[in-house]
Amino acid sequence: MSSPGGQGGGALSTRGGAGARRMKWALELSLGNTRRDRQGGQGDVMYPIGYSDKPVPDTSVQETDRNLVEKRCWDVALGPLKQIPMNLFIMYMSGNTISIFPIMMVCMMAWRPIQALMSISATFKLLESSSQQWLQGLVYLVGNLLGAALAIYKCQSMGLLPTHSSDWLAFIEPPQRMEIMGGGMVL
Amino acid sequence: MSWLKYGFAVFLYLLQYTDAVFEDQVGKFDWRQQYVGNVRFAFFDTHSQASKKLLVATEKNIFASLNSRTGELFWRHVDKTGPEGNIDTLLVHGQDAVVVVGNGRVMRCWETNIGGLNWEVVLDTGSFQAAAFVGVQDFVKYVAVVKKSAISFHYLSNGHQKWVENLPDSDTVQYQTVYSDGQEEVLVLGVVPNSHIVVVAYNIEDGEIMKQISVEAPWMSSLEESCVVVGAGILLCVDPITVSLYTLPLYSDQRTEMNQILLQSLDLDVAPGFQPVLTATQPNPARAPLTSFFLQLGPEHHLLLQLKDGIITTLRDFKPSRLAAFATSGEKTVAGVMTPKNETACSINLFTVDTGRRLLDTTVIYHLEPNGGKPSKLYIQAFLKKDDSVGYRAMVQTEDFALTFLQQPGRVVWSREEALAEVVTMEMVDLPLTGTQAELEGEFGKKADGLLAMVLKRLSSQLILLQAWIAHLWKLFYDARKPRNQVKNEITIETLSRDEFNLQKMMVMVTASGKLFGIDSRSGSILWKHYLENIQPNSAFKLMVQRTTAHFPHPPQCTLLVKDKETGLASLHVFNPIFGKKSQISLPALPRPILQSLLLPLMDQDYGKILLLIDDQYKVTAFPSNKNVLQQLQESASSIYFYLVDSSQGRLSGFRLRKDLSTELIWEVVIPAEVQKIVEVKGKRPNEHVHSQGRVMGDRSVLYKYLNPNLLAVVTESTDTHQERSFVGIFLIDGVTGRIIHEAVQRKARGPVHFVHSENWVVYEYWNIKARRVEFSVLELFEGMELYNSTAFSSLDRPHPPQVLQQSYIFPSPISTLEATLTEKGITSRHLLVGLPSGGILSLPKMYLDPRRPEVITEQSREENLIPYAPELPIRTEWFVNYNQTVSRVRGIYTAPSGLESTCLVVAYGLDIYQTRVYPSKQFDVLKDDYDYVLISSVLLGLFFATMISKRLAEVKLLNRAWR
Repeated sequence: MSSPGGQGGGALSTRGGAGARRMKWALELSLGNTRRDRQGGQGDVMYPIGYSDKPVPDTSVQETDRNLVEKRCWDVALGPLKQIPMNLFIMYMSGNTISIFPIMMVCMMAWRPIQALMSISATFKLLESSSQQWLQGLVYLVGNLLGAALAIYKCQSMGLLPTHSSDWLAFIEPPQRMEIMGGGMVL
Repeated sequence: MSWLKYGFAVFLYLLQYTDAVFEDQVGKFDWRQQYVGNVRFAFFDTHSQASKKLLVATEKNIFASLNSRTGELFWRHVDKTGPEGNIDTLLVHGQDAVVVVGNGRVMRCWETNIGGLNWEVVLDTGSFQAAAFVGVQDFVKYVAVVKKSAISFHYLSNGHQKWVENLPDSDTVQYQTVYSDGQEEVLVLGVVPNSHIVVVAYNIEDGEIMKQISVEAPWMSSLEESCVVVGAGILLCVDPITVSLYTLPLYSDQRTEMNQILLQSLDLDVAPGFQPVLTATQPNPARAPLTSFFLQLGPEHHLLLQLKDGIITTLRDFKPSRLAAFATSGEKTVAGVMTPKNETACSINLFTVDTGRRLLDTTVIYHLEPNGGKPSKLYIQAFLKKDDSVGYRAMVQTEDFALTFLQQPGRVVWSREEALAEVVTMEMVDLPLTGTQAELEGEFGKKADGLLAMVLKRLSSQLILLQAWIAHLWKLFYDARKPRNQVKNEITIETLSRDEFNLQKMMVMVTASGKLFGIDSRSGSILWKHYLENIQPNSAFKLMVQRTTAHFPHPPQCTLLVKDKETGLASLHVFNPIFGKKSQISLPALPRPILQSLLLPLMDQDYGKILLLIDDQYKVTAFPSNKNVLQQLQESASSIYFYLVDSSQGRLSGFRLRKDLSTELIWEVVIPAEVQKIVEVKGKRPNEHVHSQGRVMGDRSVLYKYLNPNLLAVVTESTDTHQERSFVGIFLIDGVTGRIIHEAVQRKARGPVHFVHSENWVVYEYWNIKARRVEFSVLELFEGMELYNSTAFSSLDRPHPPQVLQQSYIFPSPISTLEATLTEKGITSRHLLVGLPSGGILSLPKMYLDPRRPEVITEQSREENLIPYAPELPIRTEWFVNYNQTVSRVRGIYTAPSGLESTCLVVAYGLDIYQTRVYPSKQFDVLKDDYDYVLISSVLLGLFFATMISKRLAEVKLLNRAWR
């Protein structure tokens, strides 16, 4: 989880969620991992129900783990900010011409922060365990907002935003005529 | 590298404008009709029995050959317009047709089969008097041409001059006729008005004067009008004052007086005020004329007489009779006489010329058109049947320039409407909805009367629709059983209805002869015609559509204002443009000369637009005029303005309507008539829509257009035509305030100026004298970067003058007319339609005439898609909208929007009429003709099935995996 990807936490949670969605409950009759069983080809070894041949890990929270959680949460919170230099570089490389690749880049750049902002509650849940939860949340939010602003700036520099009067020209109604006039050469 | 890139960009840009007609589109939505004009001379080719040629020479300076079986043109020669190309006479002998053109300027001989030129000679100067074939020993060898002071002889075979001789005493004697009957000498007949006749005989071989006699004839003023040669050289004249005939044997030497025969002695009487007309016939120029002749004594009274041995006998008295004509086939000559039968029909009969006996079974019934002109001339084509009896076909020319070709017993083989060779003005009117469509529309128009009644009405109209659909299906089924060629989609007035995209319209055409036509724009067939009698030549016409077809059940209504130039009095003709029927609406009395008319956008309670007529005292008459209209006029009088342009005094004046329908002068601009003359004034077309209020610049700001609906473009030409001092001026004047918004002067330029005024631009064309070339100039008006008032436009509140941009270009061809395309909403880019004298109609993109075309290319101009300035405008062959369908002498182009935004209907009229559609921005709202429906639908279906199959497969796979 030390990769620069900020979506690690999110992905983790969705993976868990998806797993939960797939089956409400499951009774594992065969012991151990079914997949490993199949791979190992040891399906014929029978154990009593509830018996595991692996030692049960110690799940009690220790002091060193708390530091780790804190670090992990900061990783999540700083993820969007870390991506900004990368985005700047891509922006510079793609240029301002309107063609399929720059458009795809801009879409990606705009979509990722928006997606992250939409699933911000899930990220907050992830950060729940941290003591600096609110600060981390704020940093995460600001990072995503900065990413979105960058995307908007890119759109602006590419001329995709309707900020000029010419963009609204088609909506101007023809002015109403106040006088009626006609005539011509004397017949 | 940048130039290459730029060049490629321009190429790509131009590529989308290379829009031409494909070969398979020819004639699909365009048609052309060719005309020749009012016929002056017509001859049936009697050279062989099977010949079906009819040679005509017309008032439009056209010499043509028509197919007498179908009425179509074999060939046509269009000469210069005006007196220079005027056809003086047409002589036909065998396969040679001799035409003298331009008051004796040129004589040409045409081969009649294919219309090829045999020879052409330039004649000596002098005004043309007469021409005749001269035969020697039964063989026509020469053409004699008599001019004011000389006679010349030409060989018929090659046009070479045999001899030319001066006519004696040509300053006092008016030589008017030349006569020859195959003898050794040719006679030239002249007259000294109210004194005597001069007869000069020339030797055919060397032109020597054989003899010269003069005979007293103090009553005679013109030989041509009152005399013919009958029999073996006997001059026969009629004098309306003494009511008598005079005879004179031309070959006798001693006579000094003419022999008088009183008509009373023959028991004949001339209708009061009628100039009697003599008609004789000389079937073969190498032989003497026949002894029989027609004498017309009244508008409906003809006589067939015979002059034999100095005695006149009446062979037959035709009373009543409208027209009479001789016709010859081989050795037999017959006379055809048209007699009125009843109000709507005439009968034509054939008579022998030597006895006046009626030939049996030769009656042809000619039905007069209900709203047509009276017959004015009769042409008979006689032929010998196998049993040696005489058969014939007849062509009747009517006052409204129509030609009708009849066959026994009265079948109309073909008819031509030659009035359409001179269309003055036209309008295109939408076709009405069909009865069922109108029924549905009407349902929404009516006032609500209870829920149940509405439901019932809806049900009944749905039932009608169902019935119509079943009837349509039944018709399809019924027609499918019949062989292909029998199924004809005849367009009649009853079956006319609007199509899906409103591409088919009714063309209402007004011709100079006063005949109105309703033509279906899709097929070009004439659906109705209406001849307005008593229309003076060169009257002024103004056609207005008062009510369109959109207001069912009120019928559409057009109003034609006809102003007689002589008296200045005007009359209104109100009619239904779809059926051509005259409306029963009471017309306003117009006792005073009318100066102009003004069609208001205001409507009366019947959805008819109000027409205002301004008389010479600047009083206004409203039509229709009822209480509702007058009340509306009173309410909006203060905002109704009109302008009048008096070209002779160079005065433009603006008036405002008062509540009592009088007017007050509010402005006046005088352009001194001694210096320059106002040629034309044009406002904007009232049905023009401008979609975009501005133009987008390279930096994405907006340059707003100056869209003044009251703007007038006035074009003047200098009265001084000297090369150095002549100029063309253009003034842009606000028609409400009289404010001169812009003026431009093109020095060393000359008219004729053609111009178009539309949107915020004026394009005009003139002749540059100094550089000797045609130039286009474009003026464009812009308000600037900001709109002064974006909701309302009032000419009275416009503090800022517009910015005016101008650019000029060289055009490589002279032009005859100019018009701009017009579309429904004005979104489509504009093209200029340029009628060229060569007969082409060029669709020139307006973006070539853009004063913002830069000389130096910048990033911004490239962004704007501006073409860099080049002085020459190109003519690309694919821009010709009429490919090889030449439109001769195009005088005007009419454009009308269709229901499709991309499509503009175009009618070019002149001598020919050509109708087509143009797509200035290509057909962006319609699928192409060659659109591959099969491919697209098969791909769609294929994808659909592929999706279904793959979905099924995926399901199976998932199930299998779950089971594992």
